[in-house]
Amino acid sequence: MSVNRRRTTNTIEVNYLAGGLTIIFLFALAGLFFVYLKNQQHAVGNQSRMIEASLREEEARDDALKAKITSMTSRGALQRRMDDGYITLQAIRDTAIARVTPPTLAEVDGVLRTASHDPESRFGLGAPQRAINR
Amino acid sequence: MKEISRRIGFVCALLVLVFTAFAWRLIHLQVLKHDYYQEIAADKHESRQVILARRGRILDRNGEELAVNIPVQMVYADGSRIHDPAALAMVAAPFLDVPVKELTEKLTTKSKYVVIRKRVSEEKAQDMIRALEKANLHGLYLQEGSVRSYPNGEMLCDVLGYVDHTGHGADGIEKTCDRELRGQEGFRMIEHDRKGREIMVYRGQEQLPENGSDIRLSIDMGLQAIAEREVDEAYKTNHPASATAILADPNTGEILALASRPNYDPNKFNEANLEQMRNRAISDMYEPGSVFKIIVTSAAYNEGIVDDKSRIFCENGHFSYGGKVIKDHHGCGDLSVSEILVKSSNVGAAKISLKMKDQMFYDYVRKYGFGTRTGIPLPGEISGMVNPPHRWDMLTKTRMAFGQSICVTPIQMVMAMSAIANGGKLLKPKLVLSKGEGSAELQEPPVAQVVKAESANFIANALERVVSNQGTAQKISPHGGYLAGRYIVSFAGFFPVNKPRIMGIVIVDDAKLGETANYGGSVAGPVFAKIGEKAARHLDMDPEPADSVSKKDSSTSAVSVR
Repeated sequence: MSVNRRRTTNTIEVNYLAGGLTIIFLFALAGLFFVYLKNQQHAVGNQSRMIEASLREEEARDDALKAKITSMTSRGALQRRMDDGYITLQAIRDTAIARVTPPTLAEVDGVLRTASHDPESRFGLGAPQRAINR
Repeated sequence: MKEISRRIGFVCALLVLVFTAFAWRLIHLQVLKHDYYQEIAADKHESRQVILARRGRILDRNGEELAVNIPVQMVYADGSRIHDPAALAMVAAPFLDVPVKELTEKLTTKSKYVVIRKRVSEEKAQDMIRALEKANLHGLYLQEGSVRSYPNGEMLCDVLGYVDHTGHGADGIEKTCDRELRGQEGFRMIEHDRKGREIMVYRGQEQLPENGSDIRLSIDMGLQAIAEREVDEAYKTNHPASATAILADPNTGEILALASRPNYDPNKFNEANLEQMRNRAISDMYEPGSVFKIIVTSAAYNEGIVDDKSRIFCENGHFSYGGKVIKDHHGCGDLSVSEILVKSSNVGAAKISLKMKDQMFYDYVRKYGFGTRTGIPLPGEISGMVNPPHRWDMLTKTRMAFGQSICVTPIQMVMAMSAIANGGKLLKPKLVLSKGEGSAELQEPPVAQVVKAESANFIANALERVVSNQGTAQKISPHGGYLAGRYIVSFAGFFPVNKPRIMGIVIVDDAKLGETANYGGSVAGPVFAKIGEKAARHLDMDPEPADSVSKKDSSTSAVSVR
């Protein structure tokens, strides 16, 4: 008895297979993309952590240097250096000071100066206008 | 066939059982024990990272830095992450200045937090971390911190105070303004990997810190340096137990300088003893001596009990009252109120006090701020000692009139004298000008109008003619009575007289000069004069005409009570 073998053959549904494979591929791609993004996120996180640390380090170094400058230029330190003879105060005779205008007393604004560059105090009130008009 | 089906069924059942067990275990881990395991995981990977707030600086009135921060790192070890203590110690030891053997012992621990070294400089700490990363070693970590630094060392230590090892202000402005200076620390919740590094992606809740405010003091470091130098010189020359100088603006109550000896370096406060750390301007009391005559005379003038025409008979310097004798240095007959101040007559002052009722005199003493804390924002201020009238004996009032039987603090004396200089207003001493950058200046209204401006001006004008501006009082023994041959001398004054800008006092306690030379005018006076001269130059004061030059450096108080 002959057997028809063709009847036992199953057809492959290419369309379904392609659809399924596409879906699996898309899922896999999405997964990979997710992993890629996550890695990127971690890498950027690491970078920002390092930048934060280096910023903090720079800030701290800046603060340390500022504190050093302050301690080296403080009144007490300068006084000590003056006492030790490293620096001296040299008196300037009044005749050796060129005064552009009569000095403004510190009493007026609390600032000690030898010369005034303020046009109003140099020429008196109203004087600048006259100078411009000429 | 049936056998095969049975076997298949058996295997399937076995598989179902196995996977059911797995599923159950999964449910047990993920659902039933969720919180428990989450806590363990969180404990292992999550932590609350503290973000330190930067402590505010302390500045003088011109912005000169008086207290700053130096960043440092604390190095600690996490024993749970250390695999090779010896190797770790070998790499880290040179950066920490710790012997390798000692460090190895410290690192051989299972504890998660062992402090290895505090106050490691930022540079060294970062170099160490880089070296450890290069050698692929873990277990040592850094914790940020800072130490307080006072660039001027001992200068102004009584005002500034210091910060203790916990980071809190322990004395001076550091203590009273600790809340403003400290700010508010922040935090962030972080997760870290097995190497202890933060995983940025899982950074959680974050609260940024609020840095502390800068405090601007009323102190003028130019004047402070002048006062320090002169007080220091007096301390070295006369070898007193202590010396104090205060300069203030009598119109605003601003303290411009405050120097005291002995003193200490707040950068090394651990090395200082209690004597050095006491702020004598506010915590020492003394009998003011003749300086106090201005109180009784101004009070009597203000009440109309005496006026500029009144004459007081001064008993030729020998007044018997209450069984005791009050003596003057130079005997006088009739003196006006001004002359009593000029000649510093104890008899005259005592007689004026007798014209006043006890309660009235006492009220004026209190109105001038004696017996009450001035409210200067520094810790440890005392109120002095003023006994109420019901505790007086017959002599108390006459003694108080020339500054005995009463104890005051230097700062009280400065503020009372300022009231004479500014037209009768008692002001609260002001030490803090502003808190925080750009914040408005703190304003303090006058505490009270003690005497009328007319009365204050009368006394101020009388003081112009005072030749000897000093106060001398014998030191009180802790066992009662006075200590023989030991004196506290003071000199107080204000200048320029027409428009006072500086009020000052110099107090020298127990100068080793012998009884004959220990007077306010000869010990404290020269110090005051030098400070005044240099301060006038520093402030660029306009020199007054020749006929009023003498007014400029004259002021108050009177001759010795001895």
